[in-house]
Amino acid sequence: MAGTAPRSLRAVESVRRICEAHLAGRYELEIVDIYQQPEFAERDRILAAPILLRIAPLPERRIAGDLLDAERVLVGLNIQPAAEAQR
Amino acid sequence: MSVDALLPGDEPSPEAYRAHIRELEARLEESEETLAAIRRGDFDAVVVEGPNHERLVYTLENADRPYRVLIEQIQEGAFTLGLDGTLLYCNRRLADMLGEPQERLVGRSLHSFVRGDTDLDGLVRTAMDSPVREEIELVAAEGAERATFLSLSRLEQQVDDPLLCGILTDLTEQRRSMQALAEAHARLQLESVERERVEEALRQSQKLEAVGQLTGGVAHDFNNLLTVIKSSTDLLKRPDLPEERRRRYVEAISDTVDRAAKLTGQLLAFARRQALRPEVFDIGQSLRAVAEMLDSVTGARITVDARIPDEPCYIRADLSQFETALINMAVNARDAMGGEGTLTLRLLGGRPMPAIRGHAGSRCTFAAVSLADTGIGIAPEVLPRIFEPFFTTKEIGKGTGLGLSQVFGFAKQSGGDVDVASKPGIGTTFTLYLPQVETPPETTDARVGDERDLDGTKLCILVVEDNLDVGRFATQIFEDLGHDTVWATNAEEALAEIEKIPFRFDAVFSDVVMPGMGGIELARTLERRLPDLPVVLTSGYSHVLAQEGVHGFDLIQKPYSVEQLARVLGKVVGRRRSDGRKR
Repeated sequence: MAGTAPRSLRAVESVRRICEAHLAGRYELEIVDIYQQPEFAERDRILAAPILLRIAPLPERRIAGDLLDAERVLVGLNIQPAAEAQR
Repeated sequence: MSVDALLPGDEPSPEAYRAHIRELEARLEESEETLAAIRRGDFDAVVVEGPNHERLVYTLENADRPYRVLIEQIQEGAFTLGLDGTLLYCNRRLADMLGEPQERLVGRSLHSFVRGDTDLDGLVRTAMDSPVREEIELVAAEGAERATFLSLSRLEQQVDDPLLCGILTDLTEQRRSMQALAEAHARLQLESVERERVEEALRQSQKLEAVGQLTGGVAHDFNNLLTVIKSSTDLLKRPDLPEERRRRYVEAISDTVDRAAKLTGQLLAFARRQALRPEVFDIGQSLRAVAEMLDSVTGARITVDARIPDEPCYIRADLSQFETALINMAVNARDAMGGEGTLTLRLLGGRPMPAIRGHAGSRCTFAAVSLADTGIGIAPEVLPRIFEPFFTTKEIGKGTGLGLSQVFGFAKQSGGDVDVASKPGIGTTFTLYLPQVETPPETTDARVGDERDLDGTKLCILVVEDNLDVGRFATQIFEDLGHDTVWATNAEEALAEIEKIPFRFDAVFSDVVMPGMGGIELARTLERRLPDLPVVLTSGYSHVLAQEGVHGFDLIQKPYSVEQLARVLGKVVGRRRSDGRKR
């Protein structure tokens, strides 16, 4: 994410909620502010922020754009929604 | 993942190709989505590579607006500074503090806004290495000075053109409240000093008034006594006085002197300056005797309930002072009960003394004598003052305010203390703590035996007395008792007399307060040099005696009678003889 910009803040909030809803107890989420830690942008080859990266399990996946859309995020991360998994 | 790595050395399988294609498609899709998002403006910032391959973050649109708002609205002066002290950026608050519009500040030097004695260049140099945090005085455009707290540090990431960033916090309000606080404190201190002074003056005037009243009363009583003595001596001078009348006048003088002596003794006790004459006695026995007497003091409608154990409990104290203390407390109890109620007298031996009024207690063994009444009690605001001399809650003429003062003085001088517990409307309990002793009192028979030894023996007595009248009188008495005397008017002269003929004297009779070394020092010196020579001290009042006791020497208090003098002389000389026989 990029500082306290509204979109970044909303993205953080949304991703945290998605993880909690569908991956509760099975995930680690790191929030990196590219203003505060630009070296991470280089390490992870970040072009723009906010962006969501799946680092593990491989292969690495990155989701850009609207992170408020839970379905899109789940598809991008290749995660089955919790509700479907229960069926 | 390179497709060549899938099956090294061999032609990749169709399955591997398919997997590789899926991976590439996914990557492509990601890249396209990223591009689409950039086009849509779905990002806050993009990261680009700088000329030295470093990463630079570019903020899109107004994505950094929250930061700007933060800096612009923060209630501290924020700024960036060139190394020469030029203001490159400042927020609105700083402009307010410096008293200039924001648009006229940027580009000007901060030097023109700090007080002359501030080394701004020095601060800038220091801040390049490590953050500076200290107070500086600003001078606003209109000349007003303003205390501020500066924090200044290097603005990171500006490699080519080093900059500083800083915050100035206005301390005016803080200074004002600190000053107000200091002023209030000073005012309070002044007031308290003034109040203390007024209170002291009031106390002093109250004391003077009380002393005046007391002196007047004492003078009145003394004049009455002196009138009796004077008229008796006048009558005695008549030549043709019958023997019977003569004897009556002499008796009257003697009785009157006894009364006067009692009066001065009381005064000294009130002033806590009386030399106590401690003796070992059974406190229970004494309490039983006092309890009987209390019936007459308290009146018929007050029941005196004495709960005194049978086993003896010995203390070392001045018996007559002890009795006076009990009566003083009983009189107060009577008044508190309005003449009706129960006065409970208790004795508990073998007690430790608790902490009383902030004084540490003691684990030694004490006898605790308590007097509990069922009276009106003592108001809490009065309680701390009840032991003060001249303090009284009674009507004028009903109490001197010396009763409890005597109790307190006696208790303290006897190595104990007095405690008080009171519940308004329920009653008050005074508890006297007096150091308990193991040994029973020595029998008086031995003394009588000693005194008898003296009959008909002619002694040589060294009288040490600086007052000519008293000295003349004392030597006269000893001579009338059939002894020889030598009179020295001070301790030094007395020592010289003894040096002359060391074994000439059978006893030394010395005043305590005299110019020079004084009686106590004389007695100590003689105790070292001639331990067999008995020394009797005499005093009307002595500060040293009152504070330290008699140091084991025999003491006769002035005024003394011929009988007292004869008795103590018999005692000391008799003791020496019996000691001598033992050796």
